[in-house]
Amino acid sequence: MVVGDVTTGTEVLVIGGGPGGYVAAIRSAQLGLDTTLVERDAYGGTCLNHGCIPSKALISASDIAHDARNAEELGIFAEPAVDIEAMTEWKDGVVSRLTRGVESLCKSAGVNLVEGTAEFIDEETVRVAHGGEGQGSETVAFEHAIVATGSRPIELPGFEFDGEYILSSREALALETVPDELLVVGAGYIGMELSTVFAKLGADVTVVEMLEDVLPGYEDDVAEVVRERAASLGIDFAFGEAASDWETLDDGRIRVATTDEDDDIAEYHADSCLVAVGREPVTDTLGLENVALEPDANGVLSTDEEARTDLDGVFAVGDVAGEPMLAHTAMAEGEVAAEVAAGEPATLDHQAIPAAVFTDPEIGTVGMTESEAEAAGFAPVVGEMPLRANGRALTLNEREGFVRVVADADTEFLLGAQIVGPEASQLVAEVGLGIELGARLEDVAGTIHTHPTLSEAVHEAATAARGEAIHTG
Amino acid sequence: MFEFELPDLGEGVAEGEVLAWHVAAGDSVEEDQVLAEVETDKAAVDVPSPVDGVVRELHADVGDIVATGEVLVTIEAGEAPESESSTESVTGSDGEVVETSADETAADGRVFAPPSVRRLARERGVDITAVEGSGPSGRITEADVAAADRAADADDEPAVKSAVRRVATEPMAERRDHTLATPATRRLARELGVDIDAVPTDETRDGEAYVDAAAVRAMAEREAADDEIPDEDVRAVTEQVVSELRETADEVGAEPTPIEASDGDRREPYRGVRRTIGEQMARSRREVPHATHHDMVAVPGLVEARERLQPLAEERGVHLTYTPLLLKCVAAALDDHPILATQLDTESEEIVYRRDRAIGVATATDHGLVVPVVEAVDEKGLLELTAELDDLVSRARSRDIAREEMQGGVFTVTNFGAIGGEYADPVINVPETAILGVGAIKERPIAESGEVTAQPTLTLSLAIDHRVIDGADAARFVTTLKSYLSEPTRLLLD
Ligand SMILES: Cc1cc2nc3c(=O)[nH]c(=O)nc-3n(C[C@H](O)[C@H](O)[C@H](O)COP(=O)(O)OP(=O)(O)OC[C@H]3O[C@@H](n4cnc5c(N)ncnc54)[C@H](O)[C@@H]3O)c2cc1C
Repeated sequence: MVVGDVTTGTEVLVIGGGPGGYVAAIRSAQLGLDTTLVERDAYGGTCLNHGCIPSKALISASDIAHDARNAEELGIFAEPAVDIEAMTEWKDGVVSRLTRGVESLCKSAGVNLVEGTAEFIDEETVRVAHGGEGQGSETVAFEHAIVATGSRPIELPGFEFDGEYILSSREALALETVPDELLVVGAGYIGMELSTVFAKLGADVTVVEMLEDVLPGYEDDVAEVVRERAASLGIDFAFGEAASDWETLDDGRIRVATTDEDDDIAEYHADSCLVAVGREPVTDTLGLENVALEPDANGVLSTDEEARTDLDGVFAVGDVAGEPMLAHTAMAEGEVAAEVAAGEPATLDHQAIPAAVFTDPEIGTVGMTESEAEAAGFAPVVGEMPLRANGRALTLNEREGFVRVVADADTEFLLGAQIVGPEASQLVAEVGLGIELGARLEDVAGTIHTHPTLSEAVHEAATAARGEAIHTG
Repeated sequence: MFEFELPDLGEGVAEGEVLAWHVAAGDSVEEDQVLAEVETDKAAVDVPSPVDGVVRELHADVGDIVATGEVLVTIEAGEAPESESSTESVTGSDGEVVETSADETAADGRVFAPPSVRRLARERGVDITAVEGSGPSGRITEADVAAADRAADADDEPAVKSAVRRVATEPMAERRDHTLATPATRRLARELGVDIDAVPTDETRDGEAYVDAAAVRAMAEREAADDEIPDEDVRAVTEQVVSELRETADEVGAEPTPIEASDGDRREPYRGVRRTIGEQMARSRREVPHATHHDMVAVPGLVEARERLQPLAEERGVHLTYTPLLLKCVAAALDDHPILATQLDTESEEIVYRRDRAIGVATATDHGLVVPVVEAVDEKGLLELTAELDDLVSRARSRDIAREEMQGGVFTVTNFGAIGGEYADPVINVPETAILGVGAIKERPIAESGEVTAQPTLTLSLAIDHRVIDGADAARFVTTLKSYLSEPTRLLLD
């Protein structure tokens, strides 16, 4: 306890104002609990300020420039001028609209907003330090604490982020110019999304990945579509190599060295290097040493299905609680934590969590793949619809990609879907709903889908799984 | 096994005569299927089955009188009991084991049920992985969860029942299963509310206990005598009831709270009047923001008024109590502060100012708290009020009161008495917006112009619905009420 601190009490203290935290706070206030939300940086967290939203804004903008430039086949000949500053201004406008929205949602729900960094003093109180040193602090006593401190980009040893040469996704999303040559370390979803943006904005992009393909964790035929498209955008790939060293050159550029399995070294020249090798939970801002709570071996605050940590009365939600590190997971967990704190019988019993990658084309997945279903003891049946046979895809000038649904052969219950193609991020929602409702292939097949839309491909995949496809052989 | 007891058939109905059976032992029945027709004092009613299952035993013959809570029929719950080897013994049922694929699909312990159904299961404490789905491919529906919940309740039933029976046999040791009596004696027993099987007798006919009309009357008189409770006791009971109600109010609407029974414990069903009270109170505490205003008033004037009126009332054969006087004062104070005589219509979002002065009088009875309503208090004289009160209260105690006679009040008065306590925190009888609790009239020290004297005083606890009434209104009403109570002759002014 700091002498002179004013102690206030709250029923629910939420630490971190990202999607996990702000949703937890609003839900908690809605449930009539006296709620305080502490955020040290910006409401909306990574997602709104440095993640989902700015990245998607730039993806859309770069798509428009790219599509305009590549529409000769459609009879359109254009060479759009791209003003990066104006684009950035627009993107920042979108971000601030949304973050202001989050702030006012919290306020109108009755959440008490406190700016500062919250640190546990003991198992019932936190100290909130306002701004920098000497700006004062206060002590907040809580009944329940919901930790939603999110995650940060992992730094490779020797590759400390400096915002000039070595960039994290956060800095890459705030660049004022498009680098001529960009080296991207890591071909996960963030690396691939941003590589695509910069390639479409005219940068020469090389992606270095330690593993043998892009998008580790996705099935080969899914990753393949994205890799081939990326290659056609001019992105070069170097697989099986790990970034090991870098230096600045006299011409103001950098040289990055990579090492492969056999210790062979390769060198790349670039203006800057984006390191996107994963994200780690943020637990070092919290004063965890003062309470009986420790991150697990992966740095994660592990939780049960009610989002409770090992420490009584303390919940963890979102990225800090581990994989999948996705904004919608954070929100769902935030909601459950608040409801459990309010004594409601809530639980994280969701059957499937969708995930989207906003590459060109997009990927949308939900639930189990065929092999995951097998491993879980199901006898899966799979139905697939290639988009080249979908009218709407062709009118979008898209021929690649597919919709695949996975179901249990005996009962026809939907188990999962893998979708690659335009708007795959949206299409996957239908299958997600179906899985949660316990829908069967027949239920999807028996639902009329709008023509001509991409969603017909979901319908067709379901009929294909039943051996009744009309449009595919 | 599900021991189905004759349910509460309506306010004040304690028993019914079985007019007809619609099922026989061995029949399979569905939930809501009519089991029997039972006649009560009020009407003939159909008694529906609460569960799916097979009828195992009928516990009454046509013509038998069955008391509420007595076992009427034993039903083996569940369509096709698949436990042990019972499948082959399911006589009369369709015998077909319902195929569910729950086992096959639960490959990774996965259940196929929509989020709304999963939540229902959590709310009811049902393990959804053990529920068999009746939807396509065994998908679990809301109805499946509800059925599993009921089945679990039914499984619990025998333990609960046996606990009740074990204890019940003790105080009722003399109660017989069968009694011989003439039809006229039986009718008399029914009229007097006497349990004929509990009437003590030494006489036997053909080896069975025999009861005559005189024995029934004697029993009725003893019971009536027992029923006369001294005022103090009523107050004690009321106070206890009020505090219990408050606890119940907190509990109802919360999660079901199972209680482990140990051998010495006694279980009583929580239903009927008890449950009606509980639900009413819980609703009131849940919906109504209560605020209570406490005050005390010296009432030598009231005591004197009663003392003066008492002999005059006696001449007319009426014993005058304080309650009618209190009601008159309340009615007068309500006229001065009509906001206290309101009801809140949450549907139309209007506050209804009631013109009539129908006042409820909370009354403790053996079967719980009831609130008979005295109509038009403002228009009636003290004698008329006294007579009406006596009648209502005694009928409330003997359960011989119609639902309508307990409805339509604009305000309620409850006499929580003063055994050990001075003030209470009464629960508003929704949709009314206020309730007045009064303590005992007794001497308390009163400081007046520098001197402390012992004076008869009355404590007042007024609970208001803060949505409608503000604290200042409450204080003003109580101040006016105090002026009438301290000087009842003021009533004559208006
Ligand atoms: C480039 C990029 C793109 C992404 N795209 C997507 C996408 O398309 N879809 C998707 O689902 N996810 C996406 N994500 C992931 C998504 O942003 C995260 O999963 C999400 O933000 C996690 O939310 P959170 O609430 O757990 O944490 P965060 O959003 O990280 O919020 C945590 C907050 O806590 C604050 N904080 C930390 N410690 C303290 C403390 N001690 N006191 C007070 N405040 C504190 C931080 O300042 C931060 O604001 C993306 C991420 C990145 C980086």
